[in-house]
Amino acid sequence: MYNMKINKTLYYLLAATMLTSSCKKDFLDEKPSNAVVVTDAIKTSNDLADAVNGMYNLSKATTFFGRDIPVLGDLLADNTYVNVTNSGRYLVENNYTYIATTAEASNIFSQGYYIILQANRIIYEGLKLPSSASNNQLIGEAYAMRGLCYLELVNWFGAPFALNPNADGVPIITQPSYVTGFSLKLSRSKVSEVYARLITDLDSAYALMPANGTNGTTLHATNSDYIAKYATKAIQSRAYLYKGDYANALTAAKLVIDNGGYTLAQTPAAFSAFWTSPTATTTKLETILELNQNASSNIGNTGLDAIFSQSGYGDIQATNDLYNSYSATDSRKTLMINGSRGGAQAYIINKFSNYTNTDKDETKVIRYAEVILTAAESYARTGDEPNALKYLNMIAQLRDPSFGGFASTGAQLITDILNERRKELAFEGLRFFDFTRLNLAFTRPAQPQAYPSYPTVSQTDIRRILPIPQAERDANINITQNPGYGN
Amino acid sequence: MRKILLIFLLLGMGLTQHALAQGGKKVTGKIVNADDGTPIPGVSVKVEGAKTGGVMTDVEGSFIIVANPGQKLVFSYVGFTPQTLEVPAGNFPFPMVRLKTSSKELVEVVVRDTYGSHAAKAFTGSEVSVKGAAIENKPYSTIGQALQGQMAGVTVTLNSGQPGANNQIRIRGINSITSQDAAQPLFVIDGMFVTTGNLAQNASTSNALSGLNNDDIENITVLKDAAATAIYGSRGSNGVIVITTKKGRSGKTQVRADAEYGTSANMPLPKAGVMASPAQYRELFNEAFKNYGYTDAQIATVDSTYALNSAGNDWYDLVTRNGTQQQYNISLSGGDEKTRYFSSAGFFNQNATILKSNIRRISGLLNIEHNINKQFSVQTGLNFSNIQQNTPLAGSAYFGSASSSAFFLRPFQLAYNADGSVNSSIVGNGNFPNSGNYNPLYIADHDKRLLSQTRILGNETVKWTIWDQLKYTGYVSIDLQSLEETTFLNPTVGDALSLNGSGRSQYTRFFNWLVRNQLDYRYKIPSLEDVYVDAAVGYEAQRSTNYYNNAYSTGYPATQPDLTAVGVAATPTTASQLFSNFTYAGLYGKANVNFKSRYSLSGSIRREGSSRFGGNNQYGTFWSVGGAWNIDQEKFFMDQSILTGLKLRSSYGTTGNANALNNYTWRPTAGYGFNYNLANGQDYNTIGNTNLKWESSKKFDIGLDLGFFNDRLAVEVDYYNNKIDGLIQTVRLPMELGFASTSVTSGQPQNIGAMTNRGYEITIKGLPIQTRDFTWSVNFNVAKNTNKMTKLATADAPNGNYWLGVGYSYYTWYARQYKGVNPDNGNALWWYDAGKTKDTTNYSPAARVQYGHADPTFTSGLSNTLTYKGISLTFDFYGSFGNRINDNWSYYLNDGAYITGSNKYSYNMKRWTTKGQITDVPKMVYGGGSSSSSSSFSTRFLYKGDFIRLKNVALGYDFKNISLFKKAGLSKLYLYGRATNLWTKIFDDRLPFDPETAVTGVFNEEVPQVRTFTVGVNVGF
Repeated sequence: MYNMKINKTLYYLLAATMLTSSCKKDFLDEKPSNAVVVTDAIKTSNDLADAVNGMYNLSKATTFFGRDIPVLGDLLADNTYVNVTNSGRYLVENNYTYIATTAEASNIFSQGYYIILQANRIIYEGLKLPSSASNNQLIGEAYAMRGLCYLELVNWFGAPFALNPNADGVPIITQPSYVTGFSLKLSRSKVSEVYARLITDLDSAYALMPANGTNGTTLHATNSDYIAKYATKAIQSRAYLYKGDYANALTAAKLVIDNGGYTLAQTPAAFSAFWTSPTATTTKLETILELNQNASSNIGNTGLDAIFSQSGYGDIQATNDLYNSYSATDSRKTLMINGSRGGAQAYIINKFSNYTNTDKDETKVIRYAEVILTAAESYARTGDEPNALKYLNMIAQLRDPSFGGFASTGAQLITDILNERRKELAFEGLRFFDFTRLNLAFTRPAQPQAYPSYPTVSQTDIRRILPIPQAERDANINITQNPGYGN
Repeated sequence: MRKILLIFLLLGMGLTQHALAQGGKKVTGKIVNADDGTPIPGVSVKVEGAKTGGVMTDVEGSFIIVANPGQKLVFSYVGFTPQTLEVPAGNFPFPMVRLKTSSKELVEVVVRDTYGSHAAKAFTGSEVSVKGAAIENKPYSTIGQALQGQMAGVTVTLNSGQPGANNQIRIRGINSITSQDAAQPLFVIDGMFVTTGNLAQNASTSNALSGLNNDDIENITVLKDAAATAIYGSRGSNGVIVITTKKGRSGKTQVRADAEYGTSANMPLPKAGVMASPAQYRELFNEAFKNYGYTDAQIATVDSTYALNSAGNDWYDLVTRNGTQQQYNISLSGGDEKTRYFSSAGFFNQNATILKSNIRRISGLLNIEHNINKQFSVQTGLNFSNIQQNTPLAGSAYFGSASSSAFFLRPFQLAYNADGSVNSSIVGNGNFPNSGNYNPLYIADHDKRLLSQTRILGNETVKWTIWDQLKYTGYVSIDLQSLEETTFLNPTVGDALSLNGSGRSQYTRFFNWLVRNQLDYRYKIPSLEDVYVDAAVGYEAQRSTNYYNNAYSTGYPATQPDLTAVGVAATPTTASQLFSNFTYAGLYGKANVNFKSRYSLSGSIRREGSSRFGGNNQYGTFWSVGGAWNIDQEKFFMDQSILTGLKLRSSYGTTGNANALNNYTWRPTAGYGFNYNLANGQDYNTIGNTNLKWESSKKFDIGLDLGFFNDRLAVEVDYYNNKIDGLIQTVRLPMELGFASTSVTSGQPQNIGAMTNRGYEITIKGLPIQTRDFTWSVNFNVAKNTNKMTKLATADAPNGNYWLGVGYSYYTWYARQYKGVNPDNGNALWWYDAGKTKDTTNYSPAARVQYGHADPTFTSGLSNTLTYKGISLTFDFYGSFGNRINDNWSYYLNDGAYITGSNKYSYNMKRWTTKGQITDVPKMVYGGGSSSSSSSFSTRFLYKGDFIRLKNVALGYDFKNISLFKKAGLSKLYLYGRATNLWTKIFDDRLPFDPETAVTGVFNEEVPQVRTFTVGVNVGF
C-alpha cells in the first residue's frame, strides 16, 4: 500500500514536470514591445501602409535625398561651392579628393540599400496579401521607390550608360535579406542590367497602381509626399533620359504631361508662394514627388536647408556663374539672396527657406518642370524641334514673364535646354548627371570665397563616379572597385 | 531530459524497496555545525567498535544507520572534534548532533550552492567562500566593496567613490567582450537568480545589489570552475556568486544591535595629480603664450581675458567635502527545533565627499523555517529595502559633473561673486561660458538627480522527505525592483539653459520570478562498503519582466526654482514606455559518487532554453565532470608527518554566457516610433540572427588543497584554463543586404570570437600563533590571469587606444612610444619606429606599438587578525599588479595644448624651461608643442597601474568576559574603530590619479574613493 501511494505521488510529480515542460515553447517566446517580428510585420493593408511610410521616412534621411544626394549633385558640378567659412562638411567633394572611405559615398550606398531592403519586403510580403486597389497602390510605390533607388545607385556608382553599358553597375537584390539569407555575396551587375531592372520596376509600379478614382480609391493620388501613378512615369522619364533612350524618355514624359494632371505655377507670385510653403503639395502644383518633413518628424539641423541657411551650417553657396545666368526678371533669381558669409559677399541659397520653422521644407525629389524639360530635350534629340521649343519656352517664359522665348535649333537648342535645366533645377541635385550622362567635360567656376576647389573635370576624370565604399568591399569580396580608386 | 528524469524516478522506486528490505532497528538523526546550526553533509557515522556498516550524512546532514539501543555511535569529520553518542532506548528520537570545529575557520566543511550542500571533501569543483562576519560592519554600501581582495580570482574594481556605485566584478578574468555587463558574474541570493547591475535610466550610477545589507549575509560562496558552475547552464560562465542570508538558530533568542558612526574624506591625490594652484597655473599659462610667440603686452591682454589677476580658487577643494557615515542594525534570532527565525532591520546612511552625493538605505530581513512534521518543512524569506540616492553627474562626460570640474575648471573661474553669492554668470572667461564645465556649486544647489530604489526579494521553500532517500524541494522566489527617478536641470546654468530648464520623471520596474522543483536521491550501493551516490534532478523556470516609462519636458519658470515637477513645464517633449522581458527554462541533473570520502566523482548536466537564444538555437546543453581524491584518507598518507591534509581535484565542462545577449537581440524585427506625414511608419530596423546563441566556455581546472600542522596552515592552489568561444561580435555584412546604413546598427551580431583566460590562484590560510590569550590568523591570496584573444570577426586592428588582435589581451594598449623631451629645445620626441632606432618630433608618423594591457596580471589580498584576550586588530591589504592605465583626458590636463581650456596636473611644473634641462614634460606652448601633438595619447600617458592599498584597519575590544556586562544582561559587547583606505602605495611617480580604474584601465575623472574613520559598537542580549 505504502509503495503504491508513493508511486501514485511520483506519477503526479512526473505529470506536473511534463506539463511544465510542454508549455515551454510558448514560455520562451518573448517579443519586444516596440517592434514586430519582421515576418509578421506586414499582415494587413494597414501594416503595408505603415511599412510604405517607413520606406519614405528612410529615403528622406540626411544620407540620401535629405541632403547628401542633392548637395553632391550640385557641388560636384558648377552650381555651388563650399565657403572657406565652413563647418567641415563636404570638403573632399568640394576639392574632388574623395576616396573609398569617404563617408558621403558610403552613406549613399548603404542608405540606398537600406531603403531597397524596405521596398523588397513590402513587395515580398505585400504580394501575399489579398489584391486590392489600395494594396496595389502601396506595392506599386515600393516598386517605384526601388527603381528610383537603383537609378540613384547606378548613376552615382556606375559608369554612365552611354559611355559603357557593360561596365560594373551595382549589385541587384530584389528580395528582403531575411529571405535571401545573410551569407549572400553578390557581384556588381552591369549598368545595363541595373537599368533594365529599374525600368521594369517602374513599369511594374505603373501597371499595379490603380488609375485615379478607379475602384473608388484615391489613396496617395494627389499628395506629393507619395509616389502617384504618373510619378512612376516621371521617374522613368528621368531614367530613360539618363540612359540616352530619348524615344522612351519622351513616351514616359508625355504620359505625365498628358495624363498626370500636374500644373506649373502660372505667376511669379504663385511660384514664390510654392517655394516658401513648408507643407506637402496636394494640388499637383509643380511637385510630383517630395518627402515629408513635418514639425514633429524631420531631419532637424542636418537637412539640405541647414547646409544652405545662414541660420544653420550655411556652408554652401551658389556660384557667381549660376547667379549671373539668370536674367534680372527671372523669378528663380529670387530663390537666392545677395548676402554675405564670413564677412564676404556670397549668394545665399534660399530655395528651401523654412529652416528656422518647426515645419521644415519638404525634400524635393522630382518636379513637373523636370519632366517638361525632359520632354523638350527628348523632342530635340528625336528631331521634333518645334515641340522641343514649345516645352522649353513653357518653362522659360513662365519663370521669366519678360522673356521673349527661345527660337534656337540644332546644337544650340540642346545647349539652351541644358541651361534651362540648370536654372530650373539648381540645388535639387541633378546638374552633375547632365554632365556625366552626356560625358561632357566641365569647369567648376572659381569663387573668391571658396574652400580650395578643383576647377576642371575632364571627360576621363575618375571622380565622375563615386568610389565603392571600402566597408562594402571588406564585407563582400565579389565587389569590384571603380577605376582609379585603388584596390 | 524527460526520459532521464523518468529513469531516475523509476530507479529510485526500485532501490527504495531494496533498502527497506534490510533488517534491524533504523536510527535516523541529523548533524549540525555547533557554531552556526547548519547541517553538515559527509560526516562519517559508525557504530562504535564495528568494522563495517558505517554511513555518511547526506546534504541535509541526515543519516540512517542500523543500530541497537545502548550501542554508541561515533561521528567524525575532518575539521571537527569527533563525538560519541549513545542510541537511546525505545522510541525516543536520536538527539541533534552538534559537532564542534577543531581548527578555527580554516577549513571549509560544507559547500553550498543553489542546488544543495556538498561535503567539502567530496566537492570536486573550485570555489571560495567568505563568512558574513568578515564583511559586516564595514562602511560599504555595496557587496562588491566588501568582497574586494577577500578571494583569489575574484577581482572587484572600485573606481568610483560615489555611494551605491555599480561595481565591476570579474571572476578569473574578462569572460566576455560584448559589454561590461556581459562579463558580470551571476548573483544568486537564497536560491534566486537576482536582477543585478545599474538598473536606473538616468542616475549617474546605481547598483541593484546596494539594497542588500552586508550585515544580513551569512555566507558568500564564489563558484569558479565547470564542476561548480555548469549546472547554472547558460549563466554560469562568468562565475557564480552565491549569497546566503542569515537564518535563525534554535535556542535562546539572541538579540544583536550594532551602531556605527564615522566621517569620510577623499583619499589624497597622488602627488603628480594635485591640480596646479592659481599661481602655478598662471605661470604655466603665461609661459605657454610666451613660447607661442606672444609679446608681454599680448600676454597681459590674454591674462585679463582669462581673469588671471584674481587670487583664484581651488576647485578640488570646492567640490569635495567631508562626508559622514552611519549605520544601525538590529537583529533577532531564535526558535526551537520546530521553528526558527531570523529578523533584522538596518539603516545605512552615507554622505559622500563630493557635492550633493549621498545614499540612505533602510532594509529588513525575515527568514523563517518551520518543520511541519518529519516529512515536511517550509522556509520563508523576505528581504526588503529602500534606497534614496542623490546621484549627481560624475565623470568627464558632462559639463555638469562636479568630479570632473575639480580637474577641468581653471583656478581663475571663480566659484563665488564678490558678495559671497554663487557665481552663475556664463559671460566671460573668469566665469563659466558655455562649452565648458558649469559652476558645480550652482548645479549642486539647483539641479536634482534623485533615485529611489525599492526591492522586495521573497522566497518560499517546501521540503518533503518522500522517503528517507528521496527528497523533494519546491522553491519559488520573486525579486521585485522598482526605481523612481526625478531629474531636474535648472533654466539658469547648465545643460538645460537653452531649453529654459528640463525635467524628467522615470519609473523602472523589474519583476523577476523563478520556480524550481528538485528531487534529491541518495543511494548507498548495498554490495559496496562506503559508496554513496547522491543524485538530483530538477526543473527550473524564470521570467523577468522589465517595464519603464519616461516623461520629459522643457521650459520651466525661471523665477519658481522649487517647481521642478514635469507637469510644470511649458513644453512636454518626450513620453515613452517600454517592456523588456526574458525567460529561461531548464532541466538539470547532477550526481556525485563518493567512496569513503576518499574518492569522489561528480557530474552535472543542464539542458536549458531561453527567450534570448535565437530561434534556431533555442536550447543548449551544458555539462561537467569532476573528480576529487582525498589523499589524506589513504593509508600511505599516514606514513608521513609533514602534511595533515591533501586533496587533489580536477574538473572539466562547459558553461554558457547569456548575459552577452540582450533580450531581443536575435529577433529580426520591424520597429515603429516615428511618423511620416503624421501617419505611423514601420521599418525593418533590427537585423536579428536566428542562429544567435550564448557565448560558451570550456573550463578546465586542477587544484590541490594542502594542510600542514594539523591544518593550522592550509594552502590551496588552482590552475585553470578557460577557453571561450562564440563571443558575440558584430559582423559587417555586404551593404546590399541593407544593414550598413548609418540609420541602424550596422552589421549582424554573430557568435564569432574566441579567447582564453588562463591562470593560477593560491590561497594560504594560517594560524601562525594560537595560544590561550593570543591568536594571529592570516589569509593571503594571489591570482594570476592571462587573457588572450584567439579568434576575431575582423582582421587584427587598432580598437581605439587598444589593439584588438589574436594573441593579445583584449585590453592591450596600442600607442606611439614617447621618447621624452629634447633637452635642446623642449620639444616632445616620439620613437619613429617600433624598434626605437630613430626619433621624431612629428607625432603622426610615429609607429604605434602594443604596450602592456589594462587588465591586471596579478591581484592579491592579505588579511591579518591579531587577538589578545578581548582585543582584536585586523588589517586588510589589497594589491593589483601588472597593468597599465590611462587618463582619458591626459591631452587636456597636460602641456599647453588646452592651457586656456582647463587647469593642469601639477606634474607639469616639471616642464622644460631651459636649454639642457632633462625632464619628461615638454615645454608649455599654447596650442601644444611639437605640431600641437605634445599631449596626444602615447606611452607617456600609460602609467603603471600597480598598487597596494591598506583597505581596512580595525581595532576592537570584546567586553564579553567582563562580569559587569553579563550582570547587565549583555551577552556581547564589542567596541571598535575602523579606518579604510588609509594608505596606498603606487609604483609610478608620474601617475596623476588613483590607480584603481575601471576594467578598461581608463580614468574618467570619476568621484574619488574615500577614506573613512568609523567607530562602532555591537551589543548582544
